[in-house]
Amino acid sequence: MVEEIFLANIALILIIIGIYGIAAKRNLLKIIIGMEILTIGVNLNILVMGLREKNGEIYIDPLSQSMTIISIAIGACVAAIAIAILINVYRHYKSLDTSKLRRLRW
Amino acid sequence: MVVLYPILSLGLLIGGSLIVPLLGFLGKKIGLKKIREIYVSILFLVSTILLFYTALYEKLPTIYRIIPMNIYFESSLMVDYFSIYMSLIFCFLGLMVSLYSIKYMERETGLDEYYVLLLILVGGMVGVTFSNDFFTLYVFWELMCIASYTLVSFRKYHWEAVEAGLKYLIMSTTGSLLALYSISLLYGITGTLCFDELSKIILSSVGTISPHTLYFIIAIMLSGFGVTAAIVPFHTWLPDAHPAAPSSISAMLSGVVIKTAIYVITRTLFKIFPPTNFGYGLILLFFGIITMTIANIAVITQKDIKRFLAYSSIANIGYIITGLGIATYILYNYSNMSGFAGLALLGSLLHILNHAIGKGLLFLTAGSFIHELKTRLIDKLEGIGLKMPFSSTSFSIGLLNLAGIPPLSGFWSKFFIISAGLSVRDNILFITTVIFIVNSIVAAGYYSWLLERIIFKKSSSNNKKIKDVSIYMILPEVILALLCILITIFLHPVLAFINKSINILLGV
Repeated sequence: MVEEIFLANIALILIIIGIYGIAAKRNLLKIIIGMEILTIGVNLNILVMGLREKNGEIYIDPLSQSMTIISIAIGACVAAIAIAILINVYRHYKSLDTSKLRRLRW
Repeated sequence: MVVLYPILSLGLLIGGSLIVPLLGFLGKKIGLKKIREIYVSILFLVSTILLFYTALYEKLPTIYRIIPMNIYFESSLMVDYFSIYMSLIFCFLGLMVSLYSIKYMERETGLDEYYVLLLILVGGMVGVTFSNDFFTLYVFWELMCIASYTLVSFRKYHWEAVEAGLKYLIMSTTGSLLALYSISLLYGITGTLCFDELSKIILSSVGTISPHTLYFIIAIMLSGFGVTAAIVPFHTWLPDAHPAAPSSISAMLSGVVIKTAIYVITRTLFKIFPPTNFGYGLILLFFGIITMTIANIAVITQKDIKRFLAYSSIANIGYIITGLGIATYILYNYSNMSGFAGLALLGSLLHILNHAIGKGLLFLTAGSFIHELKTRLIDKLEGIGLKMPFSSTSFSIGLLNLAGIPPLSGFWSKFFIISAGLSVRDNILFITTVIFIVNSIVAAGYYSWLLERIIFKKSSSNNKKIKDVSIYMILPEVILALLCILITIFLHPVLAFINKSINILLGV
């Protein structure tokens, strides 16, 4: 299926953008945005992997849909906790720059 | 006949967490102090007893299916001896930590949230061990992860906790998402998420599915779950998160949360990608060697006692991974010698138990030292042992257990792994085992060095008034220390029980 390959590639590109955002950005908010992009990419991939073809018609497996919905909910929880910790980071450091958060050694 | 006790204990842990805030409120209004803490301890106790009863007297495995409305999608739980073994460890350590927290966390604020999160953490881990498909596993996995992020940054008034919590959150979430990506790829190939069907489909289609795809999936899954397991290239969150969390939570994190990841890796690798057909043993051996070597080198330079223990946790994860690697390597290359693979697995699984109990004990006792002296530096903790006899005796038993001093059970787990590695004539296994032995000796060296400094050195003058901590904190420490000895005495029944889980893993 052309659509499946196309969408799976888009999901892969989103995942790579997300990992780039997490690895390369200096601002913590941008890192969290990268994490969200990664979540979106993975969710899209789950949805794409549920595409099935039967008698020339394309339909989506309900398992992948339900898993995507649960995964979106989990992603929202993680994002909420990430932002809650982010607020506390800002209270302590008055900055969101990761280069200022270097008090812990490796 | 359906066995209901394991599900009941899971329900108690997750459902019982709902009324903890209510009890906290009532305790404040009526004046019944500690009602919330006692309630949480009773929940853990009841679920531990239920699981123990199931392990002893019930017929396993048993499968629970949840099929909502139509048959398009199902979620199923399966309880077998391996999951009972792991979940019993988790629940028991949860009980110990909840007893310890009664006194240790007394002065903190936000205790309602603390106990809710503790229950959800253990409930999530028990759910991970019970789940029979990736969908359920992922949900429980994230439940566990979310609880542990919040518990690491629980002392949010302190910069260290906040920073370590954020670091842990970003790394672990990335890992979980990569694991989810690999799960979705697996789903795309096979069209199902149930473990049993997955293993059947993958075994029957070895020719049709390209092995590179499957190895790619194995690699992503290993690195995704490996972040939580703290395998070395992904370990950097652990030495920050452990010191920053309260000591009770460090005991949970180091004792059982990283073991959950080991459980998932073991279960998925052995069940879905049978090691007789896939040669990932070499990768596991490589990661195991790197993990233990780097962690053992890094331990020696540490000045902070919790950081010291955290790095030694990473080293112990390295031992467990090496044991798994030896088992899978033997199964792939010498499939007629699967008995030795079983021996290596026996060592790994016994080491999971030893390390969970020993490291939980060490973090709890280190927590009581820190609670009294308000410092984490080993230099300032020198000689504290003479002032706190109960804590320091437990501490030394835990250290000796992890160092592998012969009669204690920590010796036997390492011995099984080493003898499995040496019993097959193979150069790679030989080199691995030699590195393993060297690492064990180095580890025994620094454990006894820590023992000497904490217990036998003359204490500095400023801590004359130190007395031993309260009975609520001593009790779990002494129970865990006794358990270290009891496992040694009753090694045979423990090994017989672990053998049942090995039979499940090897498919005998």
